[in-house]
Amino acid sequence: MPAKFDLNDSSVVVVIGSGAGGGTLANELAKKGISVVVLEAGRRMELTEFKNDEIGMFGAFTWFDPRTSSGSWYVAKSSPDLPAWTCKLVGGTTVHWGACALRFQEHEFKTRTRYGAIPGANLLDWPLDLKELGPYYDRAELRMGVTGTHGIPRLPASSHGKVLFAGAKKLGYTQYMTTNMAINPVPRDGRAGCQQTGFCVQGCTFGAKWSTLYVDIPQAEATGKAEVRAESQVLRIEHDASGKVTSVVYADRAGNLQRQKARIVAVAGNSIESPRLLLNSSSSQFPQGLANSSGQVGRNYMRHVTSTVFGIFDKPVHMYRGTAQSGIVMDEARLDTKRGFVGGYNLELLPQGLPSFATNLMPGEWGRDRASVIDSYANIAGVWIIGEDMARETNRVTLHPDRKDKFGMPIPNVHVDDHPNDVAMQQHAFQQADALYKSIGAKRTVHHLPFPSTHNMGTNRMSEKPQDGVVNRFGQAHDVKNLFVSDGSQFASSGGENPTLTIVALALRQSEYIADQMSKGAI
Amino acid sequence: MRHMLLREWVTKFSRRGFLRGGAAAVAAVAVSGPNLLAGAAEAAGLSAEETRALLKMTRDLFPHDRLDDSFYAKAIAPLQDEAAKDAATRKLLSGGIAQLNAATMASAGASAGKPYADVSDENVRVAAIKKIEGGAFFTKVYGGTMTPLYNQPELWPKFGYEGPSSAQGGYINRGFSDIDWL
Ligand SMILES: Cc1cc2nc3c(=O)[nH]c(=O)nc-3n(C[C@H](O)[C@H](O)[C@H](O)COP(=O)(O)OP(=O)(O)OC[C@H]3O[C@@H](n4cnc5c(N)ncnc54)[C@H](O)[C@@H]3O)c2cc1C
Ligand code: SF4
Repeated sequence: MPAKFDLNDSSVVVVIGSGAGGGTLANELAKKGISVVVLEAGRRMELTEFKNDEIGMFGAFTWFDPRTSSGSWYVAKSSPDLPAWTCKLVGGTTVHWGACALRFQEHEFKTRTRYGAIPGANLLDWPLDLKELGPYYDRAELRMGVTGTHGIPRLPASSHGKVLFAGAKKLGYTQYMTTNMAINPVPRDGRAGCQQTGFCVQGCTFGAKWSTLYVDIPQAEATGKAEVRAESQVLRIEHDASGKVTSVVYADRAGNLQRQKARIVAVAGNSIESPRLLLNSSSSQFPQGLANSSGQVGRNYMRHVTSTVFGIFDKPVHMYRGTAQSGIVMDEARLDTKRGFVGGYNLELLPQGLPSFATNLMPGEWGRDRASVIDSYANIAGVWIIGEDMARETNRVTLHPDRKDKFGMPIPNVHVDDHPNDVAMQQHAFQQADALYKSIGAKRTVHHLPFPSTHNMGTNRMSEKPQDGVVNRFGQAHDVKNLFVSDGSQFASSGGENPTLTIVALALRQSEYIADQMSKGAI
Repeated sequence: MRHMLLREWVTKFSRRGFLRGGAAAVAAVAVSGPNLLAGAAEAAGLSAEETRALLKMTRDLFPHDRLDDSFYAKAIAPLQDEAAKDAATRKLLSGGIAQLNAATMASAGASAGKPYADVSDENVRVAAIKKIEGGAFFTKVYGGTMTPLYNQPELWPKFGYEGPSSAQGGYINRGFSDIDWL
């Protein structure tokens, strides 16, 4: 039974956002007997509402509230008012996500030490390491049911995957496989096994893919300790004279302002909304924004070096069949500066249905050449480049000086200038992916520059020293001890891996810390 | 530019209630064949001639010989609809089409003096579009017709795309890994 808490109940932990970070944290806290109110800006959808409809589900899931962008990055030109692709609904972006669930590598937690002082970058070691996070990665993998871990079998390779692997082998790569996926290969944990439908990003109609929408949220509610309020957008976090947070102000379904009191507030709105909310919660005591004495709130925004390469063959591939993103080549993920850049990248399968493919392809181009690529749709294979990008102080989320959303909250601007390291990595990856497909007979390859960012990280980063970042090693704000950040904005580096497994591992670890601190009366 | 346009499209259609029905709803606005097209044009506020030019331009932007005109008629339906309701859109479209016509009329050789839609030489039509490429009219047509063109379920099989698969139990028993040429 979902709980129901009073607005004036100041004993609750308020979790803002119900995606990977917020959904996991809420579930864990509720299971520990802690009262939780989850405030989620989006609506609650049911599994039965998901359709195998790329355009329709993009419309139904996406966070379309106004955003702007600036800087030299491609996305500011290609989709200036949709710089990031995140979701607005219960379950957050875990409804859309492809479910690649990879651990970060050891060196990626220590970029400042391992990469040195990179000019124009603002690198920082995480105040924790792989060894410390290891047990939480284990738990995250078990609860999400990650294939290839803890005896959970891998998914079988699709035709699309086999094309990738054949090219990888020809190129001399050795680390290719169906990816570690948070998708049940066989029924597990009360959820179905994958049916290879290929519509993972449109919301898995079988529930085989892990999502907080139908895993963590119902589990949290079943404890009787959690209440999820959908269509409730938090506008401001308030504090008392001692600098502790006391309540949040949100707009409810009807657009009325409500104030929920709280013992603790955990922010998990994804890496654009979380800093936006902290910046918008400035006060005379916190003039630069809540928890922002370091000035780092909103800075060091990372979104991975990404791009897509499509290989056009003479024979059918049918890339749309089978688990969408299950296929990876990991050979380039290593740290090897001989390639001309620090950090590494993965090559991950990226199929698209015809509507997405044909509408995203070669933006701005038209005519026979572009159409001929679409004519080859059935014979095309696609791979996504995902590599580590450099934290830069000037790559940042700020509040727009004049534009406001429908609740009067300033909209966010996302500024990014690609670092030369990002560019060098992207070029290397293009070369390798081209060679991979050409080695097995692709007659042509087509490059697609980044989509709006699906991976958003770093804007409230964790740091050993308060002056370097926003939160400590547990995601607790340096400046405000009962304020936590529980999403990917905590990341001090982006790694070359998809972020969500790490977000979940951090949330699991954070839940223990919060419970411990609460029981000690420290917060 | 693309995602911005897709977004405009999505928000616009969600407001009109098209989105919930998805592609099928878009298809329902559609017309097929030249006769119906003329009827739709009148209702839409664009003249029959302008509608013919708009359809031709959409084909020139996204030229697939395997598709007959009915698919392009469906692709322009949302724009026609918008032009019928919104004078500014109508003006933008009419003005752009007039520019295309002026360009082909002024061309040399066999196409000289012909309006854009009557020009049989594709190169001449393409040259006319090149002149207005990137402008407001071009952007409107490019962004406004692309998704309704490619999001038609009836079109998908022509490109070897099988569309929704959940109802058939996915591809687990229907060839997800049957590649035989590697
Ligand atoms: C198409 C796609 C594919 C992806 N594939 C992968 C993949 O294969 N592997 C991987 O690791 N990652 C993938 N990702 C990224 C992954 O989805 C995110 O990393 C992850 O969901 C982030 O978790 P989060 O908790 O930070 O935010 P989210 O999951 O985005 O959740 C944030 C929630 O907070 C809500 N919210 C925001 N602001 C407020 C507010 N002010 N008040 C109330 N609620 C608010 C939002 O509505 C949202 O529901 C993918 C993303 C996309 C879009
Ligand atoms: S391919 Fe598997 S995980 Fe993806 S949507 Fe289908 S059943 Fe779900």
